[in-house]
Amino acid sequence: MELTLFIIVGAIAVLSAAMMLISENAVYSALFLILNFACIAFFFLMLNAPFLAMVQITVYAGAIMVLFLFVIMLLGAERIMTGDFRYPWLTPAAVILALVFLVAASAAIIDGDIDFIEEHKPDPYVRAVHAVIDAGELDFYLDDTLIASGLAYEDSSDFELWTEAVDSRHTVRLFEAGADPASAEPLGEEIVEINAGEALSFVAVASGTGDMDPKLIVATEDVTFNEESGTARVVAVNALAKWSSVAIVDKENNTTLIEDLPYGQASAGVLLKKGKHSISVYPDGNDQNQLAVLKNTEFDDNTSVLWVLIEERQEGNTFESRILNIETSGSPSFGSPTHVGRLLFTHYVLPFEMVALLLLVAMIGAIVLTHESLAPREPMTRRLANPPAGLDQPIIGKPEK
Amino acid sequence: MEASEVSVELYVLLSAVLFIMGVLGVLLRRNAILVFMSVELMLNAGNLALAAFARQWGNGDGHLMVFFVMTVAAAEVAVGLALIVAIFRTKQSINIDDLHMFKD
Repeated sequence: MELTLFIIVGAIAVLSAAMMLISENAVYSALFLILNFACIAFFFLMLNAPFLAMVQITVYAGAIMVLFLFVIMLLGAERIMTGDFRYPWLTPAAVILALVFLVAASAAIIDGDIDFIEEHKPDPYVRAVHAVIDAGELDFYLDDTLIASGLAYEDSSDFELWTEAVDSRHTVRLFEAGADPASAEPLGEEIVEINAGEALSFVAVASGTGDMDPKLIVATEDVTFNEESGTARVVAVNALAKWSSVAIVDKENNTTLIEDLPYGQASAGVLLKKGKHSISVYPDGNDQNQLAVLKNTEFDDNTSVLWVLIEERQEGNTFESRILNIETSGSPSFGSPTHVGRLLFTHYVLPFEMVALLLLVAMIGAIVLTHESLAPREPMTRRLANPPAGLDQPIIGKPEK
Repeated sequence: MEASEVSVELYVLLSAVLFIMGVLGVLLRRNAILVFMSVELMLNAGNLALAAFARQWGNGDGHLMVFFVMTVAAAEVAVGLALIVAIFRTKQSINIDDLHMFKD
């Protein structure tokens, strides 16, 4: 289906380009070029770039081509001048050159070493979550890069792009806030594997009741745009040392979301319908003994939710389980207007400003070039910068036809 | 992002074909406005390849490049058409074969 569409629209694009080249009337050429631009806008839609398709139609097919048509009509240049060619040898030479280039380009594309097949995944995201009760502020290091500093209990850092090497083993280390990673002894250490396209949360939790040494659990989330709209994605991390494994139940629908989640592990992602939910945690196989509950909590669609099950110290040195609920809104999908806009106003602010400046200069340039008093005057005077010897005054006059 | 039926090679091939038609237009047409429109065709062919590679690599930078190419093309058209109008005023012609004041 997609291939058929591609072939049909591609044929229209090539035909309209050819008609643009051979039309005798410049107005027809401009109209064929607009058709060609519309085909390219269609390809942008097929390539997951709806924003570019829109800009292509409004700016190219709209503004720029209207300018072309306006100038053609203004100058009365619809009819192509049919004079004798100044360089008659140019036609065959150009055709031969173009064919050679086409063959070379096709050979390079089909047989070349360009890596077309492998789909590349986006860079991974990493963040840190502090769920160690009684511990002070913490610093998180991934290899030697500080990814979160001075993180307080119950806090999480924002997801950050990890642009260093992926698909290899990295070390996450945990320090007291302000400690020097080169000399200080890490509070916790964990070797993790980071893969492209993932979003990893490094959750520091207390290891065992009463024992407050932090332990690191890695949860893999998915923060890309949620294609199944109306759902939030949930990942749970079990840090309840007292129970060998737990189950998480959505009480309203009486459905078990996550079963048999062992201590010290993160679950796989599950989908949760948007809206209010009451979430309960039970020890596995015992649905009477409710450990913790998350009452009437609102979940938005297109968010990624991380539940960390922790034990909190109560008065009298008793412990009570609770769910730490951390929500992250999904990042916009590839090619969407939000994605383009976010890139434009983060990485590309400077080029954007420079292009704006360029447009301003072009506007002034167009005024200067076409202004009556500033345009070059008739008759054209021809001057030589370095007149030949014996010539005292510049040569003035029209060049002969 | 599900794999697409149309491979990126097809898009790049189509873009090469359109680019070459633009080159032919620049070399063969004598009307300055048509030469200019052929340049626009070449820019669009380049944009198509950029968007195809952007999808292949799952990277938004290609889209931003297309966006900037479009903006620069708009600036170029404004100046270029002003130049053509200025040339028409002095020479009463936009045949590029007539524009050889520097040569003889």
